[in-house]
Amino acid sequence: MSESPFPETMPSPWVSAHTLPWWQAAAEHRLVVQTCRECGATRHPPAPRCWSCRAPAHEWTELPGTGAVYTFTVVHKSFIPGLEVPHVVAAVELDASGNARLVTNIVGCAPSDVTIGMRVAVTWDDIAPDLSLPRFVPA
Amino acid sequence: MTACIVGIGETRYAKWGGIKDATEHELALDAIVAAVADAGLEIDDVDGLSSFADDRNGAIFLAAELGLPELKVALMSWLPGGGGACASVANAAMAIESGQADVVVAYRSLCQGQFHRFGQGPGAAGQAQPGLRRAHSLLEDQLGFTMPFGMLNPPIAYAMVLQRHMYLYGTTSEQMGNVAVRTREYARANPRAVMGAAPMTLEDHQDSRMVAEPFHLYDCCLETDGACAVVVTSSQRAADTPVTPVRVLAAAQGSPHRFGHGQYVNVNVDDDLYASGGSRAVAQRLWAKAGLAPGDVDAAMIYDHFTGLVLLHAEDFGFCGRGEGGPWFAETTLPINTHGGSLSEAYIHGLNHVVEAVRQIRGTSTSQVRDCETVLVTSAAGVPASALVLAST
Repeated sequence: MSESPFPETMPSPWVSAHTLPWWQAAAEHRLVVQTCRECGATRHPPAPRCWSCRAPAHEWTELPGTGAVYTFTVVHKSFIPGLEVPHVVAAVELDASGNARLVTNIVGCAPSDVTIGMRVAVTWDDIAPDLSLPRFVPA
Repeated sequence: MTACIVGIGETRYAKWGGIKDATEHELALDAIVAAVADAGLEIDDVDGLSSFADDRNGAIFLAAELGLPELKVALMSWLPGGGGACASVANAAMAIESGQADVVVAYRSLCQGQFHRFGQGPGAAGQAQPGLRRAHSLLEDQLGFTMPFGMLNPPIAYAMVLQRHMYLYGTTSEQMGNVAVRTREYARANPRAVMGAAPMTLEDHQDSRMVAEPFHLYDCCLETDGACAVVVTSSQRAADTPVTPVRVLAAAQGSPHRFGHGQYVNVNVDDDLYASGGSRAVAQRLWAKAGLAPGDVDAAMIYDHFTGLVLLHAEDFGFCGRGEGGPWFAETTLPINTHGGSLSEAYIHGLNHVVEAVRQIRGTSTSQVRDCETVLVTSAAGVPASALVLAST
């Protein structure tokens, strides 16, 4: 994504044993959500046990990579050198995920065109060999 | 409850980086010493310390430095953020009422100028090159899902909350601006207020630069240097002091279903809670415990890290219906944040709101409310929320 407003100096993700599988899937351009094997409830961010039935057993469900903007902000102040403004930080509610929401960016359109409820689709931004970030473009 | 507040202490307040001749650590001690003196007590009477927001100045070290005969309780409300300000007083009251301590000082020292600047986010510090890195706390593990995408700091996170509130209920930037302007008017009367010399109109608010929509600069609280402290003891002990005690009539704290660190980090809070101050359940318990309704308080000190969150707290605490915070604030005559709040007095993480509530009940505020007997104080959003009702004895 050559038009990305996000520089290499953006903070990289911190990960644990519980969140690493999500990031490993992302590096393979697979958008997943953690799903409880006992009751089917989804959870994001990933966690050791299901918040609903408290079971630890889980699997990673691959998602279609589409969703709708739940909320967003157009950021006008650059808090990191090289971070271009304005840009959009959003929460996207992911289709087929049990309403899991992802913090992400809406790119590929003017920030002023973004609205709550807008349909969006994933686009992958490859940052490093082990790191790809899912951002979203208008669907 | 029978616990009372008998002392308040504050250092000077200055803009971010404005205090260079004293360390944050030193200011914590200064505020505690001032609060104990205000209560007419001796440092040797103190046997408990309580704080919140992972205050850098650990109670066990302060106790040693102050030479406390014994530290019987050292209390901390979890996680960074101002949600624990009222909780630090509530926990002090719990320790006293359960007989574990007699005189507990709640304190907060916050000189961001001497450390990092919270509102700026982390920048590129500590990262040689992009790539996954190991989380050293549960909070960092969660921030891994927000910071890489530019949800870097509280203004951006809470802008997203208010954006949804505007979408759901039609809240406007001008309605938030009303909070900034009225709070500044109170600060103008307060010589301690960092922004006391600068008047503000609604036009000034609208013209201030945009940070993260819908937040203009003047929707965001200050970043300051300073410390304050509050002395809590039993009503029996309070009767022996020379001051007029202020009763902790009710206290409540809590974190809603799946809230975690709240919207600051977690966009997966329940839909019903996302565009809220996260304090509805706390408010219900607080009013029930106090035996009061929102209309019964003479003033309110409402956590104001951002203007919009004052509107959400007004809804959570039942001053108006859900979504009605904007219109309600424009009409209400309730005195709110009469010291100038975090928006215009200082950002001592909301413990200065407790200090102002005590002043109102003592009758010593710079914007004194006539016959002020009962005051609501709230602390919240994004962290376990807490609240107090303070009352005259």
